[in-house]
Amino acid sequence: MAPITAADALHEIRAAAERDAATHASDFVIGTVGQDVPLELIHAAGACAFRLRGNPEWDTAPADRYLGRGLDPATRSLLAGILSGAFGPLDAIVVSSDCDASQRLYYVLREMRRVDPETTVPPVHLVDVLHLPRAASTRYTAAKLREFLDVLERWTGTRPDEAAIEHAVAEQDATRALQRAAMRLRSAVPAKMSGCDALAVFAAADRMPRPRYHECLEALVAGAADLPALSGRRIFLTGSNHDHHGVYREIEARGTVIVGEDHDHGELLAERDVRSPGAPAEVLEAITLRYQHNGPTAQRASIGARAAHTAAGIRRTSAELLLSYVRLMDEAPLWDFAAQRRESPVPAGVVVRQPYGRIHRGDLDRALTAPEATGVNE
Amino acid sequence: MNKHRADRLTAAGDALAYQKRWFAELHEHVAAGGRFALVNADTPHEILRAFDIPYVVNQWWSSIAASRSGAQRYLDLVAQEGLPRDSEQYNAIGLGSVFDPEPATGPWGGLPKPFLVMSDITGDVTRKVFDVWGEQEGITCFEFENSAEAEMEAEWWDDLPHDWERLAGSDRIDLLVAEMQELIAFLEKETGTAFDRDKLARIMKLGNEQAEWNRRTRDLLAQARPCPVSVNDSISAVMVPQWHRGSEWGRDAAKQLYLEVESRIAAGSALATPERARLMWVGRGLWFDLGFYRHFEQEYGAVFVWSMYLAIAADGYLRYGDDPLRALAARFVGFSEHLYVAPMSAEWYVHQARQHGVDGVVHLVSDDPRGNWATTRALEAAGIPVIEVHADNADESSYDVEVFRGRVATWLTESVLSSANVEQP
Repeated sequence: MAPITAADALHEIRAAAERDAATHASDFVIGTVGQDVPLELIHAAGACAFRLRGNPEWDTAPADRYLGRGLDPATRSLLAGILSGAFGPLDAIVVSSDCDASQRLYYVLREMRRVDPETTVPPVHLVDVLHLPRAASTRYTAAKLREFLDVLERWTGTRPDEAAIEHAVAEQDATRALQRAAMRLRSAVPAKMSGCDALAVFAAADRMPRPRYHECLEALVAGAADLPALSGRRIFLTGSNHDHHGVYREIEARGTVIVGEDHDHGELLAERDVRSPGAPAEVLEAITLRYQHNGPTAQRASIGARAAHTAAGIRRTSAELLLSYVRLMDEAPLWDFAAQRRESPVPAGVVVRQPYGRIHRGDLDRALTAPEATGVNE
Repeated sequence: MNKHRADRLTAAGDALAYQKRWFAELHEHVAAGGRFALVNADTPHEILRAFDIPYVVNQWWSSIAASRSGAQRYLDLVAQEGLPRDSEQYNAIGLGSVFDPEPATGPWGGLPKPFLVMSDITGDVTRKVFDVWGEQEGITCFEFENSAEAEMEAEWWDDLPHDWERLAGSDRIDLLVAEMQELIAFLEKETGTAFDRDKLARIMKLGNEQAEWNRRTRDLLAQARPCPVSVNDSISAVMVPQWHRGSEWGRDAAKQLYLEVESRIAAGSALATPERARLMWVGRGLWFDLGFYRHFEQEYGAVFVWSMYLAIAADGYLRYGDDPLRALAARFVGFSEHLYVAPMSAEWYVHQARQHGVDGVVHLVSDDPRGNWATTRALEAAGIPVIEVHADNADESSYDVEVFRGRVATWLTESVLSSANVEQP
């Protein structure tokens, strides 16, 4: 096969990132919800992990019946996808406790299976990863990961041994390292990758075979010199997460480049490895610590941890503006913003009560032109 | 229709009077250099009691502020700090107190500044609210994890008092015990007092006795026809002692409520004559419109015979066992799941509806509690009419009393009072 160019790699990644349905028909396919599902254990059990995500174009009415309308519309959209079969055949679903909406989704799926024998919802399991930096939380999370191994064995018939888990860890860490290398293309000055493409890099990870995904990322990094330099105001994006490119596209259409973000469909996914320096030798313990200390996300971290992390991200990416985008019914970022603004080395603006996958044009204009005039109570 | 209402429960009036005295004494205690804690409802207050540290329950304070038009004042103060005004108001109202330039002008003389705030991290926002508290000078924030179980038993209420190790789960209990030990170490350092395990055991015993009285009261009311006690009164008579759980006064107040209810039933007291419909209120109390319940008693003969406050006091707190710390952990592991997470919540509501012989359910749906669909579905599957009404129970800013009551009235007339098994006027 001919060597792939950076432009071709990017094209392939963009196409893969758009896929809603899993294509790994021969595997045991596990739909995952949230950033705290330990992918390494799923891979070690010989199953395929496929992260489920919503789509702003989908009608959420069927999901609203179960979840109500007082919940993050991204999660309501995700349930709509499950109910409509948009993700293709799923053998099981694993939900993490990464945010309240994920937990509520789990409880609804569990109850649907309990009360409706005709349901098409496959078996579901909750992996309860906790995040307070205490030894008790570590012990608890380790117990939940062992419990998850039992569930995987029941589902797949395979109990992964330590060697299989180590192999899966090495592969996932390698993926993260390549993702971090790719992200340096956009944090470079000038940027060589847009925010939209960065989001696609993460979205494509489980939507193409891993060897090909690695090839594409390697080609992208190796061929960076051939990619066009992107000019435009450099923005660091915080606030709600983005499982869809709509908001990125609208922000960058204003002549800006999103050079970094701190949500769990973006760079937060790749910041921490399992086999990081100082990690314990026992592999399950190392996985436990990786997921416990993963983040900090808006929904699970303290205000102080978020503000410090965001400020570091702004400096690392040489951003010129901090923009917090807060979706309707996603309230945690509202509480982070005051401290983020205080600690930001650059001007900070906020847009609140935004619809899923979109951003109100007037709000964006104001945040870009007069960021200090914006606030969370508008 | 006879609209006369039975007199207010002495137990409710006594509880409120006690709380006022207690709160005034708290002010004196703080003025004299004493310290107190501000805690969320679903945290192990008993540890503080074992150290003789007074505590104010955040949700109680919010309900006081909301019922005395103080909620907007405190939410405005929160907003002035650049924090959201309309996010998790039930917790944020209390936070406003620390930014109050004239605290003494607040309801009941205002909320003094605590030295410790304590919360579980339910949802995405609660811990943020308490983070802000913890950023204030002189305030320490102690947070408990909010663990969740992948599988739960639907019918828990009979077995939980003794079989809690199995039902709550050892992993979750281990976690909370370890967290409480960390809290104990902090309090030992702060107070210079050693933790007294026997004292905690006595506190647990008193708390269990209080819950036993509440269970007797709940069972009495479930069988009583007509209902002799308004839901407003039962909430006050139960919840004030609940926040003094583990004290002799709390235990005795629960006993007083039982005896008063028993005598009212014996005397044939009625909230409404005839009692045309028995209703269940699912959800938090509508603190800024407590007249809502009485309105339907007086205008329609529809009596709210059930709220979660007495019912969860009856079923949610009893934990017997020789290890007080472990039993205490089991009391609070997954506490809110009994109220908000199916199948535990849904099946309990159905069980309670049947025990109380209700004709219909008014289900208050706010944004932050979970499990609304499952609760309504389970009740309707059991053949019980349900109306879902939407409001934030502590923030009246978007509440329209006429619209809200009108919707319930229409449903009541069309779906409940028209039913053949409901007594016609």
